[in-house]
Amino acid sequence: MKKEGFFDEFKKNKALFAMAAPAFILVLVMSYFPMSGLILAFKEYRYNLGVFGSPFNGLQNFGYLFSSGTGWLITRNTILYNLLNLITSQLFAVIIAIFITEIHAKYFKKVTQTVILLPYFISWVVVGVFVFSIFNYETGLINSVIQTFGGEKVNFYMMPMAWPVIICAFNAWKWTGYNSVIYIAAVTGVDGEINEAAAIDGATIFQRIRYITLPSIRPTLVTMILLQVGRILRGDFEMFYQIVGNNGQLFNATDVIDTYVFRSLITNPDIGMTAAATFYQSVLCFAIIIDRQHDREEDRRRLRAVLKKEGKKLWQRMTKI
Amino acid sequence: MKKRLLATLLAAAMGLSLLTGCGGGSSSGGGSGEAGTVDTSKEVELVMYVISDRPAGQDIVDENLNKLLKEKLNCTLKINWIGWAEYAQKYPLLFSSGEAFDMAYCAGWLGFSNLARRGAFMELDTMLQQYAPDNYALQSETALAQATVDGHLYAVPTLLPTYTTYGAIYRGDIAAEAGITDTIDTFEEVEQYCDYIVANHPEMEAINEYSSGPETSLVWTRSNGLYDIDANLRFLFYDPSAEHPTVTPLYDLEGATDFYKRMKEWCDKGYWSKSALADTDSQKTQNGKAGLTFHNIDTWSGYTVQQPDWDFKYGTMTKDVAHLPFTQDCMVISNTSKNPERALALWNLITTDQEVYDAFYYGIEGTTYELNDQGQFTILDMDLYSTNAMWAARTMELNRNQAGVPEEYDTIREGWEQTIKDGVGTEKFTGFVLDTTNITTEVAACTNAKQQYGWPLELGYTDDVEASIEEYRQAMKAAGIDKVVEECQKQLDAYIESLGQ
Repeated sequence: MKKEGFFDEFKKNKALFAMAAPAFILVLVMSYFPMSGLILAFKEYRYNLGVFGSPFNGLQNFGYLFSSGTGWLITRNTILYNLLNLITSQLFAVIIAIFITEIHAKYFKKVTQTVILLPYFISWVVVGVFVFSIFNYETGLINSVIQTFGGEKVNFYMMPMAWPVIICAFNAWKWTGYNSVIYIAAVTGVDGEINEAAAIDGATIFQRIRYITLPSIRPTLVTMILLQVGRILRGDFEMFYQIVGNNGQLFNATDVIDTYVFRSLITNPDIGMTAAATFYQSVLCFAIIIDRQHDREEDRRRLRAVLKKEGKKLWQRMTKI
Repeated sequence: MKKRLLATLLAAAMGLSLLTGCGGGSSSGGGSGEAGTVDTSKEVELVMYVISDRPAGQDIVDENLNKLLKEKLNCTLKINWIGWAEYAQKYPLLFSSGEAFDMAYCAGWLGFSNLARRGAFMELDTMLQQYAPDNYALQSETALAQATVDGHLYAVPTLLPTYTTYGAIYRGDIAAEAGITDTIDTFEEVEQYCDYIVANHPEMEAINEYSSGPETSLVWTRSNGLYDIDANLRFLFYDPSAEHPTVTPLYDLEGATDFYKRMKEWCDKGYWSKSALADTDSQKTQNGKAGLTFHNIDTWSGYTVQQPDWDFKYGTMTKDVAHLPFTQDCMVISNTSKNPERALALWNLITTDQEVYDAFYYGIEGTTYELNDQGQFTILDMDLYSTNAMWAARTMELNRNQAGVPEEYDTIREGWEQTIKDGVGTEKFTGFVLDTTNITTEVAACTNAKQQYGWPLELGYTDDVEASIEEYRQAMKAAGIDKVVEECQKQLDAYIESLGQ
């Protein structure tokens, strides 16, 4: 039999190819062409010579990330924060989605859902102002309350270890509503008859959630997590920058790659060095995604192990203070 | 078959990205040979970029200005504004996108020498003299030397000198209340004033400190006659009056420990907020929420116009005043400019013709501004149009004071002009431009360490000053401060030697 080549395939399925073409071109132009710009990470950029004419300078652009030992610290912070945020925001989203679908009062349900979704529309700039007015030393909400009851004021801006909790809480507050929308769709999609049958057989509501709802939304959960894992080395710049600001004392606990790069280069912008940071993040993300898709079952086991280990470490760090 | 297709696609992709990537191309020099004035027979539209938020009245101001320019130079000018919120990202992109435009505002804080060295601007070696002769005649040799990078002239420096002074901007009414009659220009007097505020005005902070970092170390070094090696490296200082100045990190300067201890004392006394670095409100002093700001004389004159009732005063806290580099405000021609000759001719006109200058800088008389009998201007509608943001266009002759600026503004500056001597003290070093090409990595890391360890220390956010200084020193060492110091010293020595010749 004649081996079928691409052109035979093309001839046979012209219509399908035509339909796929716009998407293909879009991805090519928007995602693949710009990648050629990554070459800047290895160049000393000159405005009059352009992207491809500038001279190469080896790995020099990567130097500032690692020269002072901060490179590992910020990489670790970025990964830990993203893991923590991933777990909390997805976990809350699932819980909220299940709660909301279990609520039967129509108006209450709608109102709750709206209220939970609202934070998604609030910009981090505004959240930054919230945080400042809640935690600042002189007039902050918490300190005012403490003072009214005769307690000793707490200077949050000098307590680095309080901030992982604060940042994580605000991240969950902002994203839970948005993520829960997807889970609500998944939970509503579960066949009602199964639930009814289980109820008749005497399953309690928790049993129904544990044995019916959760397994049913598992594919959605896995997809959502996989999507997030691909971004694990990208710090949510706006969130960190607006919440932490320029408070040097907090940096060891709150600095992520994106904020470090921003601060180092804001006074002396250098296109090559910025490209180097992006390149570093992209390569690591790419490696993680490829690794992830290699073997999913194996992978899930490993993820569980890592989460367990990191969670334990984090717990130890928190309890030590 | 499959492979070949892939190869073709890849080749196509490469070709396309080459096309898009190299849009800028190189167009250098140009226009030489024609002697004397510009050929204005063809009408051209010039494009200028400035940094500030676009005023609502820009269109009517443009219309008025263009009528004038059409008649005088057969050209029109289109001014594009890059807003404050986005300039840090957008400004460098102007030069890398390959967009054709003619003129742009530039300054030390926008990375003038860095951009010049990387080929963003057109070199003006002969063109400035040829096409902007009147402007050229007013330029001082120092100014032109400052605008020269790697042997080429890359900018037209401002003709309005600015000064290295930092000082205390404070409320005259509160000082009078506190019984302070002398001008507040020493740390002791600042303390006296702040103590009074802490005790009697709980509604305000004594000193305006906020998230962009403290200015106290700059005031301290300036009041001791020291000067920073570069505006972007304000952790390295030297003594301009010494015969062989040594570049020293702030924390190793004589008396630095005492300075940091004093700052801790100020912090403990409550001169500023304990969460200052998270506070984004930079306008506390103008709005009555703080009593004192450390900044320069132009900031002060701005405050006096904004709040005439509070009798804002300025105490110079700089021992040896000098001119700031004239590239502090400058105009550059993009290397993508199609009409550099006409752009320079236009610049010549703006900086030497009062009528054009007024139309360019203040807008339309009677609509956007009015003049009093001393020739001072008043902005009629802040929301419509205040002034142009092309600050480099200002000159000693043409620039007008805003009505309401106290007379001291001129007398203080005249006093400085009298004490400044060419080639003496700090003034000797205004022509020094640091080249950070060899130390970009270290500078980036040090900038970060300064923010992380230097700022909190300077604001007294520490329990043990000496331990924190040591921590700061170690962080700077890890970031490569030694290499930075060495490079700065080498360049400074070379500069001094070049002066001797």
